Amino acid sequence: MRDREGPSIDLIDVHKSYEEGERTHEVLTGASVTIPAGQRVAILGPSGSGKSTLLNLMSGIDLPDSGTVRIGDTDLGRLSERDRTLFRRDHIGFVFQFFNLLPTLTVLENLLLPLELSGRANGVRAGRGVDGSGVGAEEQARALLDAVELGARADAFPDRLSGGEQQRVAIARSLVHEPDLLLADEPTGNLDEDTGDRVIEVLESLVAAGRTTLVVVTHSRELAGRMDRILELDHGRLRDG
Amino acid sequence: MRLLTRASLRYLTQHRLQLLLSVLGVALGVAVVLSIDLAIQSARTGFRISAETVSGRATHVLASDVGFVDEGLLASLRIDLDVPAAAPVVEGYATSARLPGRALRILGIDPFSEGPFRPYVAGGPTGVDVSRLITTRRGVALSSGLASSGGLTPGDSLAVTVEGQAWTLPVVEVIEPGDELARAGLADVLLMDIAGAQEVLRMTGRLSRIDLRLEDDAEGAARVAAVESALPGGVGLQSVGTRSETMSGMIAAFDVNLTALSLLALIFGMFLIYNAVTFSVVQRRQILGRLRALGVTRGEIVRMILSEALWIGALGAVLGTVAGLFLARGLVGMVARTINDLYFAVSVQGIDLEPLLLVKGWVLGIGATLLAALPPALEAAGANPRMAALRSVVESRARRLVPRAAAWGAVLCLVGAGLLLIPTRSLAVSFTALFFVITGLAFATPAGTLVLVGAVRPILGRLAGTLGLIAARGVGTSLSRTAPAIAALVVAVSVTVGLGVMIQSFRGTLVQWLDGTLRADVYVSLPGPGASRATGTLWPDLVDDFVAHPQVSGYSTYRGIDLIREGDAFRLVALELDPRGESAFDFLDGAREEIMSRFRAGEGVIASEPYVFSRGLEVGDAVTLTTDQGERALPIVGVFYDYGSEQGTVMMARSLYDRLFDDPGITSLGLFLEDEANSDVVVGELLSIVPDGRAVIARTNDSLRSASLEVFDRTFQVTAVLRLLAFVVAFVGVLSALAALQLERARELGLLRASGMTPGQLGRLVVTQTGLIGLAAGVLAVPMGLALSVVMIFVVNKRSFGWTLNMEVGPEVLLQAVGLALVGALLAGVYPAWKMARTSPALALRGE
Repeated sequence: MRDREGPSIDLIDVHKSYEEGERTHEVLTGASVTIPAGQRVAILGPSGSGKSTLLNLMSGIDLPDSGTVRIGDTDLGRLSERDRTLFRRDHIGFVFQFFNLLPTLTVLENLLLPLELSGRANGVRAGRGVDGSGVGAEEQARALLDAVELGARADAFPDRLSGGEQQRVAIARSLVHEPDLLLADEPTGNLDEDTGDRVIEVLESLVAAGRTTLVVVTHSRELAGRMDRILELDHGRLRDG
Repeated sequence: MRLLTRASLRYLTQHRLQLLLSVLGVALGVAVVLSIDLAIQSARTGFRISAETVSGRATHVLASDVGFVDEGLLASLRIDLDVPAAAPVVEGYATSARLPGRALRILGIDPFSEGPFRPYVAGGPTGVDVSRLITTRRGVALSSGLASSGGLTPGDSLAVTVEGQAWTLPVVEVIEPGDELARAGLADVLLMDIAGAQEVLRMTGRLSRIDLRLEDDAEGAARVAAVESALPGGVGLQSVGTRSETMSGMIAAFDVNLTALSLLALIFGMFLIYNAVTFSVVQRRQILGRLRALGVTRGEIVRMILSEALWIGALGAVLGTVAGLFLARGLVGMVARTINDLYFAVSVQGIDLEPLLLVKGWVLGIGATLLAALPPALEAAGANPRMAALRSVVESRARRLVPRAAAWGAVLCLVGAGLLLIPTRSLAVSFTALFFVITGLAFATPAGTLVLVGAVRPILGRLAGTLGLIAARGVGTSLSRTAPAIAALVVAVSVTVGLGVMIQSFRGTLVQWLDGTLRADVYVSLPGPGASRATGTLWPDLVDDFVAHPQVSGYSTYRGIDLIREGDAFRLVALELDPRGESAFDFLDGAREEIMSRFRAGEGVIASEPYVFSRGLEVGDAVTLTTDQGERALPIVGVFYDYGSEQGTVMMARSLYDRLFDDPGITSLGLFLEDEANSDVVVGELLSIVPDGRAVIARTNDSLRSASLEVFDRTFQVTAVLRLLAFVVAFVGVLSALAALQLERARELGLLRASGMTPGQLGRLVVTQTGLIGLAAGVLAVPMGLALSVVMIFVVNKRSFGWTLNMEVGPEVLLQAVGLALVGALLAGVYPAWKMARTSPALALRGE
C-alpha cells in the first residue's frame, strides 16, 4: 500500500510528571530510545508505569516536561498545538484499548473520517490499492474493511459490533490514511485470547504491507514476542528487554 | 455533508428530547422578546399614525398649558398676522355602547380651513362631503372601518357619552380612507364640524388648539417669530414633531422596563442553551477526545459545537417568531390598555409587523444561542485529548473551580454594586448592573450548593441511609453537570422572587398611600378614556347640587390638566382643599403644616416625587408655566409622595390657579360627609339627582380605592405574564438539564440496579437527588431574590419612575419560590427514574 518506509523515533531524556492532588507523580524520568524506521516495537511495563504516557508523547497528544521527542525529522516539542494536531492527523495512526470508534458514524464513515480530516476524502487519489493503482477514499476504506473481514458491516453502527470486530475496525481506521507511524495502546487488552490473536494477525499483515513503524504498548509477553524489538519501561526509563 | 457535521447531526437527532428542549428554550426567549417588541411597537405606531392623521400636514400648533385657546385668536392670526394656513381644532373623547371598549376621538374642524392640512377633509375623491357635515347639527363623519364595526350607515344615529353627557350624533358621511395609513389613523375618529364639536365638548368659544402650516425656510422662520411675539398670555407655539415626540416619550420608561423583562426571558433561554450545550459536550467528552486524538483541531471542534448551536438557534428562532406573533396579539391589548390607563388614549388596530423587529428577534435568538454555546465549545476544544476522556479529571477540575467561581461571582457582584452607585438616571446602567449582580450570584451558586448539601448530608443519611448519602454525594461529585443546572434554577427562581417582592412592595406602598391620600368619603368625576386620570369638566350646577347635599359637610375640588409642552409632559392640578384633605399629603422633607400654609397662600406649588426626580429639581427650584399673564416661574415649596402619575404632578392652590388662568372648571370633587352619614346611601342619592342624559362616576372611598388597585393590577398584568414566561423558560431548562443529567448516569444507575437495587429504591435515589438540587436552588434563591428585589425597588424602579417604595416581603413569595424550585426539580427526576426503573441493568451497563 505505501511506497515509503515509516519514520524513525527518537526520545531523548524525556521527563513527564502529573499532579495528583497535592502530590506530583513522576511517570517518565529521563526515558531515551531510538526506534529505527519501519521497526515493530513492543513496550512492556506494569500498570501505571507510563506506557500510555509514552504513546501520548510520541503522538504529540501530550508534551514532555523536558527532553525531546522526534518523529523522523520533526521535533514535536517545536510544533504549536495546532501543528502537532495536523502532524498527528497526517502521519500517525492510533489504536486504543477501548476501540474509541465514533458511535454516531457508521463503520465505513469511521474509516473515512481520517481521510476527510487529512483532505483526501474527495481527492482523485486517496491512496494506492493492493495492486499499487490509485484508488478513491471510499474504495480505499472498503478495501481495508475487506482486509479486516468486515466489508459486510460497512454500514453498521459500532454498537452493533462485537469487541473483536470493533477493534478490527479501529485498526483499519488507524491505517486508512496510510500513516508513517502506528501507535497501539493495549490493542488486545479488552479482547479474549483468540480474538486478540486474530486482531494482531490483521495488524501485523497490514503494517507489514505498509512498512509502517509500529509501537505497541502491551502487558502481553506473547504479543511482545511477535515484534522486532521489546522495550521495557522501568521506573520511568526505557531499556531493551 | 462532512463527516463531522454528519456525526454531530446524528448526535442531535439521537438526543431528541435534549434537542427539543433546547429549541424550545430559544423559541420561548425569542417569542417573548419579539412579542413585547411588537406589542410596544404596535402601540407606538397606533399612536403615531393617529397623531399624524389628526395633525395632517400641520407643522406647528398654538396651544395653552390648560388645554384650550380662545377662538378669537384665529381671526387675529389670519387678519393681523396674515397667516394663510391656520385651522382651528376642537378635540375630545367619547364612548359609545355601540362601539364598546373604544376611546372615540372627536375631531372638530372647520372644513373651509382644512385645505392645507387634512386631505381626507379637503374634498376630492376620498374626501368628505363637507356641506352635509356643516349643515347637519352635530353631524359626524366616520371611517368605513369604524362604521362597519358599529353597523352604521349614513342616516343612522350614534349614541355617545362625552364627558358624562349623552348625545345622539347623526352619521352624515362614511369616509373611505384612501390608503392603509389613513384607514388606521381614522380608525377611532369621529369627524365633526367645529361648532358641533364645541357644543358636545362644552367648549363654545374655545378651541383645543390651532394648527398652523409654516414653511421651513427664512420666511417661515420670520413668521414663527412674528406669531410668537404676538401671542396672548397663556398660549404657546409648539412644533408638531416635538409635541408628538414628547407624548411618545412618556412611555419610554414603561417601554424600557418591558423590554428589560423580555430580555430577561432571553437570558433564561441562554442559560437553557448553555446547559444543553454544556451537557452535550460533557456527554461527548470521550468522543471529542477521540476526535482530537485522530487529529481534529481545536478550531474544528469549536466550529462543530457552534454549528450545532446555530442549528438549534435557527430552529428556535423560526418557532419563536411564529409563537411571538401569536403572543403579541394577546400582549398588544394589555400594553395598549396600560398606556390608556396611565399615559394617553391610544388606538391599536393590530400588530405592526416591523421587519426590523423580526430581524432583531432572529439576531438575538441565534446570537444568544451562539454566545451561550461558546464557553462549552471552547472548553471542549481546550481540553487535552488525553485528559478529556477522564471523568475524574473533569470533576476534580470542576471542584477546584468552585472557590474561584465564587470569588469571580463576588467580583461581578461588586462591579454591579459599583455601577449601581454611579449617580445616574440611566436605565441602561441600572440594567447592566442588575445583569452583573445576577451573573455574579450565578457564579457563587456552586459554592453555596456544596455548603448546603454538606449540611443536609448527615440528615439525609439518618433519614434515608446509604441511599440518602449516595444522593447527597452525587450532587457534589457530578458538579461539572449539576452546577450549570442549579445556577440556572437559582437565577430563574431568584428573579421571580425579586419581581414578586417588587410587585408586592409596590402594591403595599400604593395601598398605604391610598389610605393616606383618599381622605374624602365620596369622589365624583366624569367617565373618560383613561382609568387613572380624571378628565373633563363637571357641570357647575351639578357641583353646586352635590355640595349642597345635607349630608355633605365639606368638599375639595380638583382641576387636572394633562399638560404637554415642548419636551415636557406632566399633570397640572389646581386644588381647593377642605382642611381635612390637607393631611393627605406626605412630604419628603419639611413640616407639612408649614408647606401647606405656603401652598394655601399661593406662594408656590407642590410637586410630586417623580416630577422632581425625573427633572433633577428640588425644593426652591421653579416650575415655569405659560399663564394668561405670560410665563410665570413658580417656586416648589414641597415635594410629596405620589404614585398616581409617572410623568409627575404639579399642584397649586385653586386661588393661585384662578389668578393665573381663566379656567373655572372642576374636574373632580371630593366630598366629606357628616359623621353619621352612610357613604353608599349618599352616593345613591347624589346619582339620583344627576339629570337624564348626563353621567358622573360617584364612588365611595372604598370603591375608589378598589378601582385604583384594579388599575394597578392591570398595569402589572404584562409584568406578571412575562414573569410567568421567564419562569417557564427557566423551568424547561432545569427540567431538561436535570433529566439529562440523570439519563446520562444510566450506566452508573444500571450498576446500582445490577448490584441489587430495586426499581423503587432507584426511583427514590434519583428523585431524592433532583429534589435535593431543587431544594438547594430554592433555598439559595431566597436571599439572592431578596438582594435583586432591593436593587429593583431602590434603584431600577427609582430611576425608571422616581418612586420611593417601601419594601414588603410576604412569606408566600418566598414559599412559592422554594416550592416551585422543589417541584420543578422533583418533576425532572420522575422521567429518568421511571425510565431507569424499567430498563434492564444489562442494557444500561452495556457500553458502546
